[in-house]
Amino acid sequence: MKRRLILVLSVVLALSLFLSACGDSKQPQEEVNQPVDSEQEVSQETDKPQVPQVLKYGTDAEPGGLDPHTISAASSIRIFKQIYNTLIDVDDDMNYIPELAKSWEQPDDITYIFYLREGVKFHNGREMTADDVKYSFERVLDPDTAAIGVSYYDKIDTMEILDDYTIKFTLKEPFAPFMGNLTSLYGAIVPKEFVEEHENLMVEACGTGPFKLQEWVPDNRVVLVKNEDYFEEGQPKLDAIEYYVMTDESARLAALRTGNVHLIKLPAASLPLVEGNPDINVLPFQTNDYSYLGFNLTLDKFKDVKVRQAISYALDRQEIIDTVYDGEATISGFVTPAMGRWAIDYASKDLYKQNIEKAKQLLADAGYPNGFETTIAVGLFDDIRNIGEVIQKQLEAIGIKAEIQNLETGQYIDAWSNKGHEMMVGRNGAGTDPNRSVAFFFSTTGSANVWGYSNPRVDELCEMGMVTIDEKEREAVYNEAQELVLEDSPNLFMSSHMDYFFSRKEMKNFTPSTFNSEDFSKVVIE
Amino acid sequence: MRAYIIRRFLTLIPILIGISLSIFLIMQLIPGDVVSGMLGIEANPELRANLEKKLGLDRPLHEQYLSWIGNAVKGDFGKSFRTDKEIFPEILSRFKITFQLTVMAAVISWIIAIPLGIISALKRNTIIDGIVRFIALLGVSVPNFAFATLSILFLSKVFKYYPPVGYAGLFADPAKNLKIMILPAIILGAIMSGSIMRMTRSSLLEVMRQDFIKTIRAKGASEKVVLFVHALKNALIPIITLIGMQIGSLLGGTVVTEQIFSIPGLGQMVLTGINQRDFPVVQGSILFIAFVYVVINIIVDILYTYIDPRITFKVGR
Amino acid sequence: MDWFKTLIKEIAKVIKGLLKDKVGRIGLIGVLIVIVLALGAPMIATHDVTEMFAKSKLKPPSGDFLFGTDDFGRDVFSRIIFGARVSLKVGIISVGISATSGFILGILAGYYEGKTDGIIMGIMDVLFAFPSILLALFIVSVLGPNLTNTMIAIGIVSTPVFTRTVRASVISVKSMEYITSAKSIGLSSIRIILKHVAPNILAPFTVQATLALSSAILTEASLSFLGLGIQPPNPSWGSMLSDSRKYMELAPWLAIAPSAFIIGTILSFNLLGDSLRDVLDPKFKL
Repeated sequence: MKRRLILVLSVVLALSLFLSACGDSKQPQEEVNQPVDSEQEVSQETDKPQVPQVLKYGTDAEPGGLDPHTISAASSIRIFKQIYNTLIDVDDDMNYIPELAKSWEQPDDITYIFYLREGVKFHNGREMTADDVKYSFERVLDPDTAAIGVSYYDKIDTMEILDDYTIKFTLKEPFAPFMGNLTSLYGAIVPKEFVEEHENLMVEACGTGPFKLQEWVPDNRVVLVKNEDYFEEGQPKLDAIEYYVMTDESARLAALRTGNVHLIKLPAASLPLVEGNPDINVLPFQTNDYSYLGFNLTLDKFKDVKVRQAISYALDRQEIIDTVYDGEATISGFVTPAMGRWAIDYASKDLYKQNIEKAKQLLADAGYPNGFETTIAVGLFDDIRNIGEVIQKQLEAIGIKAEIQNLETGQYIDAWSNKGHEMMVGRNGAGTDPNRSVAFFFSTTGSANVWGYSNPRVDELCEMGMVTIDEKEREAVYNEAQELVLEDSPNLFMSSHMDYFFSRKEMKNFTPSTFNSEDFSKVVIE
Repeated sequence: MRAYIIRRFLTLIPILIGISLSIFLIMQLIPGDVVSGMLGIEANPELRANLEKKLGLDRPLHEQYLSWIGNAVKGDFGKSFRTDKEIFPEILSRFKITFQLTVMAAVISWIIAIPLGIISALKRNTIIDGIVRFIALLGVSVPNFAFATLSILFLSKVFKYYPPVGYAGLFADPAKNLKIMILPAIILGAIMSGSIMRMTRSSLLEVMRQDFIKTIRAKGASEKVVLFVHALKNALIPIITLIGMQIGSLLGGTVVTEQIFSIPGLGQMVLTGINQRDFPVVQGSILFIAFVYVVINIIVDILYTYIDPRITFKVGR
Repeated sequence: MDWFKTLIKEIAKVIKGLLKDKVGRIGLIGVLIVIVLALGAPMIATHDVTEMFAKSKLKPPSGDFLFGTDDFGRDVFSRIIFGARVSLKVGIISVGISATSGFILGILAGYYEGKTDGIIMGIMDVLFAFPSILLALFIVSVLGPNLTNTMIAIGIVSTPVFTRTVRASVISVKSMEYITSAKSIGLSSIRIILKHVAPNILAPFTVQATLALSSAILTEASLSFLGLGIQPPNPSWGSMLSDSRKYMELAPWLAIAPSAFIIGTILSFNLLGDSLRDVLDPKFKL
């Protein structure tokens, strides 16, 4: 009898839950004309209600931890970029601009002196000094931290605190990318006592940035609130930023249409869906990413440069751009057009022009007159998968039968790092300094050179690029390196695509740019 | 009966040991590891070694397993490799959300499916039966992502409605919580109802043709009594089996719906854990899901005897 | 060769029975149509399934492209026709694997109970509790990624469902009088199972099988990014449907075409299954 009672009770409970929910679901109609819905919203009574300065941003992925020194995921950087600062920053013309350092000088090739802003406060209220700068780089270089940016800063020999607001870095040898590397959040300035108290910075955060962390509900939202003591006068304008994880594209768009969020990012394919919608603005910006087709150079068929060049001639890069990005991408090399003067003109190169005859000839010369069978590994992003499909189709023309291997995230990364592939489509960020674009990916010891590529002259140029401080000379060095890599074709490069912010018309003063796509410092909600 | 229940619960122990061992081994065997995932493109031997040491991955396998299972027994599932958060409290808080969604979806599906299934069986091979069966097939052949995407599209374009974005707990803010949960629950429930409807129909038909029903009919019982008192009760066993399995699979299988509606449930946690090869998260949450699943099935088995007293379970001597 | 003749006769009788039944006729015709589509794909298809018409991306159905084009500018109609091959194969074979093993395991567990039951259901619980994606990943890494292993993976993943259903039915049938009496007159266990128990669980079993068929067709797609399943650009209904998700608003035909074919196929199999059950089991005449 008791069991029966429990059964009945549980059914009643479940029923009541359902009924109450049903009753609730009728509410939506009432809200039709009140799109921004939140308990913090102003009451109807005030005649001219002040719009809450809260930016609601529907993001595509959950952050993977908030430690700027150990996390490289874009979903995390987006958030801790608002929390932490670096010594210096870079503008869209790739000039260095002050951030925590108000000025700097370089007495010789290996010495850098930074003069810090005074009165900059961490979110815990303590003033930031040269001591924190020293601690932050020590933390990065400590193997126990397992920080990512070790290679960015391991040329630092000593750090000397000249006074509270002055710090002198002495390098082991001249290292031209040093300034560029300082703009990376891998070198964010963190407060010592906070790190020690929390052991790490994965779920807690305390920086000097315009916003401080208030709440992180996993797989749902991160809430940042205004740092009242932010060093830039009058910034930020917003009282809070709320990041909502919405992995589904159509859900993001629906939430934007109904005004539940102010800002989302979507690929070019979604552009027609908001055309003519007066409530939504589209804000395009050029990314610094490029897509590539990589070869496993330890395999016989790809050892021969003729085969790689043949494949380059077989590709129609514009068709890839038209099909995958709806035309909204630029033909690119591994130094992207966004990097301005550093990039050579790839589009005009012979290797970038489809030439099936020449491709067949080269293949025949290499001993594959009838082509061969191979595989193309793809994964991670839809555009990578789609590029793989177009390439596969284009290669049929020269007799190469490529089978697509669509890999799960873990498998894909594994295949990338362990040469578990024949050909592979991927996407890289070119970085803020050509040293990154060239040496990191294509020098023999470059840690992202997973292809087995080695060209002594390229290595030599990478060495020169690191120690050449004169900008014009550096440019010449990297131009030569680019020409060589292009000719050797260890990777074939496709395009650098556009990204799109879709924003509500209520969100004002937001202009995304390549190197600072999420600068919300001037944003207001009307 | 009591002995049976105790014995069933005792079988939990080997099952959980089996799961923990196999999940541990599988995580080792599948390609990809957390270090590559975390470092991504930045990986180099030095960074790998640093990180492996930091995460304790440089220890021998058996040591890793024993220390994990030893702590797990004490309710300590360790910390996430990625976020360094305590896993067990996280699992519990995620489970509450998924559980609520599952219960709501299940109730909705029963309300839709069982009456329709009965009608369909009674009106066998009529137009009504045809329509009901067709709807049921829609439920099983339309994947939930399609259904969810369509609903979102429809609501946002026609009614300019989208559920509130930030998640709120059932007890923290019931109204907001239900607003968030009702749509995904209806979608999951509607899809679940397809198979329950089919099962109700066919097992009711199966029972109706059996001798004892004929006997009862012959004895002059009214059709209502035949149906609701005798037939339905006997038809329930396969239905309950199916419901038990569906609830079990929903616990880990609401991922797509959770993702589309940004509900921070257990399914998302497991999937993210698998993608990132976050071993402790995957191991802990699967162990937990397995535990809940097995318990649900024990309850289902016990329900059999409750519904059909003729069924007795042999108790091992 | 006597048994062979009897078999042919029996099959002929079943088919005759099916054709007599209205439901069976519709089901049989539907299934035949799908099989013909799959076999005759090269003749029926109007375009090359991988050919990309860059100028005609996401075009709605027209005379040239009967079901419109997808995001690569490929002909959806031809892809549907060729997709039938993969989807049918995956559906039938993987359900065959899981139904057979589930049937045997379920009968063993339900009939013998005790230790056998404990062990079998224990293994099933372990299997069921694992996220299918993890099991599939495991199977890929052990067996390697190809279509056959996809079918094995799906087959293994859905075995517990069958086992549970069959076991539950066996338990409920077992307590019925005629089984008890069969036992009391000394019939051997195997014979009891084959003669009395098996026909009785046919109903929930066919339902489960048709349900599993659709989920197998859909699961194939979700495994394609593990390197399992059919790899792009080759089409399958499941993968076409899951690719359509992004274009639900822009190009709804991408979702409608594969859905309609999946539903049509499942419906046909379903009707066929129901009718088959009636024909096979003469008791089942209300």
